[in-house]
Amino acid sequence: MIHHHDILIIGGGLTGLRAALRISDAGLNGAVVSKVHPLRSHSVAAQGGMNASLGNVKGEDGATDSWESHAYDTIKGSDYLADQDVVERMCREAPTAVIELEHMGTVWSRLENGKIAQRPFGGAGFPRTCYAADRTGHNALHTLYEQVVSREIPVYEEFFAISLITEGGRCIGCTALEIMTGQVHGFLAKAVLMATGGFGRIFDKSTNALINTGDGQALALRAGALLKDMEFVQFHPTTLYGTNILISEGARGEGGILLNKNGERFMERYAPHSVDLAPRDVVARAIEQEIAGGRGYEGGYVHLDLRHLGAERITERLPGIRQIAMDFAGVDPIENPVPVQPGQHYSMGGIDADINGATKVPGLYAAGECSCLSVHGANRLGGNSLVETVVFGRLVAEKIVEDVENAPTPDDKLVKAAINSVNDRIEGILRREGGEHFFTVRDAMTHTMTSKFGIFREKQTMQEGLDEIKSKQDQVSRVSLQNKEREVNQALIRFLELEGMLLLAEAVARGALAREESRGSHTRTDYPERDDRNFLKHTLVGFRNETMYVSYQPATLGIFEPKERVY
Amino acid sequence: MILKVYRYHRGMVSPHYDTFELELRPGMTVLEALFQFQEKLDDSLAFHYSCRGAVCGTCAMLINKVPRLACRTQVESLLKGGLKVPIVPYPAIAETVPWNPEEEVLVEPLPHLPVIRDLIVDMDAFFQYYRFIEPVFTPSADNPEKERTMDPAAVKKLEVYTNCILCAACSGACPVEGKNPRYLGPAALAKLYRFHIDPREGRTSRLKTADIPTGWWACEFYGNCSLVCPKGVPPRIAIAKAVAQLKREEKEKLKKQ
Repeated sequence: MIHHHDILIIGGGLTGLRAALRISDAGLNGAVVSKVHPLRSHSVAAQGGMNASLGNVKGEDGATDSWESHAYDTIKGSDYLADQDVVERMCREAPTAVIELEHMGTVWSRLENGKIAQRPFGGAGFPRTCYAADRTGHNALHTLYEQVVSREIPVYEEFFAISLITEGGRCIGCTALEIMTGQVHGFLAKAVLMATGGFGRIFDKSTNALINTGDGQALALRAGALLKDMEFVQFHPTTLYGTNILISEGARGEGGILLNKNGERFMERYAPHSVDLAPRDVVARAIEQEIAGGRGYEGGYVHLDLRHLGAERITERLPGIRQIAMDFAGVDPIENPVPVQPGQHYSMGGIDADINGATKVPGLYAAGECSCLSVHGANRLGGNSLVETVVFGRLVAEKIVEDVENAPTPDDKLVKAAINSVNDRIEGILRREGGEHFFTVRDAMTHTMTSKFGIFREKQTMQEGLDEIKSKQDQVSRVSLQNKEREVNQALIRFLELEGMLLLAEAVARGALAREESRGSHTRTDYPERDDRNFLKHTLVGFRNETMYVSYQPATLGIFEPKERVY
Repeated sequence: MILKVYRYHRGMVSPHYDTFELELRPGMTVLEALFQFQEKLDDSLAFHYSCRGAVCGTCAMLINKVPRLACRTQVESLLKGGLKVPIVPYPAIAETVPWNPEEEVLVEPLPHLPVIRDLIVDMDAFFQYYRFIEPVFTPSADNPEKERTMDPAAVKKLEVYTNCILCAACSGACPVEGKNPRYLGPAALAKLYRFHIDPREGRTSRLKTADIPTGWWACEFYGNCSLVCPKGVPPRIAIAKAVAQLKREEKEKLKKQ
């Protein structure tokens, strides 16, 4: 079956839905293809908030927040790797993005004067993070979905995109497997926007939804796009011990403190000014060092103490994390400290795209976590990912609307060939017998990534890790599935995800090995210093003749000169 | 422990149950147990999953005869006789297969929706009713330049309903849905109520959208919906308030005539 649309969006989270609305505003025929129902996207899990310099809450000395201050914090937080022109654009647009969500019906938390409430977040000079209790992503995603439904924008739910189709180097659509029927569909469009989210599940300890397998990055890489800064993986300092479910930075924003086994507020030693509200890379490293130094609890965790906030504040501002702590760790934060440890949380890197979201492949665009434009550089500040999704969901869609005016209408011939080739590939996978089960390969990969590409990295272990990944890539071509059916074959989907994840794991590994410095989330014990002379630049990974290669591109400065990062 | 799982796929005359013995790990959820089943016994077992943290609403199913999220349900608590929910019995939770709750966890698809395969149900009807109530904010006036202001107290009242994750556990627990498939159901009605009480909302007659026999009036106030909601949303209260308001308005209308 072949579907025709002006613009195809792959991914139905905040970025994808925001883009869909903008395309609908322009009167164009856009459609969303998503491997899950849009409301099940990982955006729904975002807790703490969305940064925007609304200035509704004054700073410490009575000063008012500004986009410049937001940009400064973001760039400093990025360890100066973010592209400053892109950061400027995001920070200027952020207030509009928050307000337009309010106009669409999002129920933001409010101040006594009725304005949108803002809370302090890590690495921010002002209380800048707008929130809907600790369910900000949930509230924003439901609002956007309501708008999409009311405009009757087509959504292909539970369609797993398998390949991008290119014609003369231009992206003209994709093939996708309808999971429930097993049928392969072809989608043709004048442009494709990738909005598929992060790839956290290449790690075994991750806050991410199980669906965050980086499918979009792998599709783009195979279609000739580049991946940028893949080695910069954010480890969130406070994930619930046991399940690694996120415990929002908002918990520390509201006054929560971290304590080691000796009851010591150890962040005072690592970040004397910001203490518990230092940026995520700083706090995650500190916790890891406390644990390594024998000052963590058995099993490898520390305590996040909220008790002093009192029952009222916890139930009002942090009801979701209280529920999570009770459901998944049997701990009520009103009565007991919450056991937390660092875990993979966010992918700063992603599909290389310019300030307009355009990739190297004409017709292919990217926005949101799957992309790297780059606003987060080497470390993302809390509250900046949600704002990125809605700001660039809209702006990139705007650019696409402009660009497709002159784009050729693709023809059906190529898509038929693409469907046939995907069908052959699926049949080939289903026919395989014997070999290891692919779950074993997946578990080995996620373990390698956590143990060898975690918070602290070093050449020799990373080289071993890369070798392990290469050998898993080799193994995966021989594994088989028990389920041989086409309809509702989730094993097949998981296998296809795994193939892509192994490519991304290699991209992370190659980027990390080549970057012989420590910057933001990327900490090399063998190169502990930041090296602006050699590495104030973006890593690019490409894929040619089944081989990955690394190149570089300078970071865009222009507003703030790189300085030492002290918190 | 033993996982007893409902299995069905197209073409089968009737469903059957598979059992799978696995080692209980402290903190293990039903969702994790299902993954173990899939990975160690049979990778064709089909079930929905996404966030595994009780926020996305994907994995609602019937666990030990109560609709709930698999990711949030602790196996150990079930085996110890905990997590009992005093819902009013209805046909869809009648005994289907013998099971021993001290050793076994019984997992079946969410009631009242057609089964596609194993634990996956077709949510189309559920979302059709969601769309029926026109779930979109309609502002009372043109958008101001900045945000509309809102009383924090109003936000608190609204949050009770915006917390809904549309998992359909309430639908699966609703005795009325079992006998009347055209009933809009607790989730759609609670959503409609959320817009009704939004002080920014411009459509003053929103309750009218469900002022039909299959809307507010079909509810029989069993209250199962509120008991099983993983997010503490109380559809029963919303429906009761809506019914009361509609009755009041009707009375006033009659008085005027």
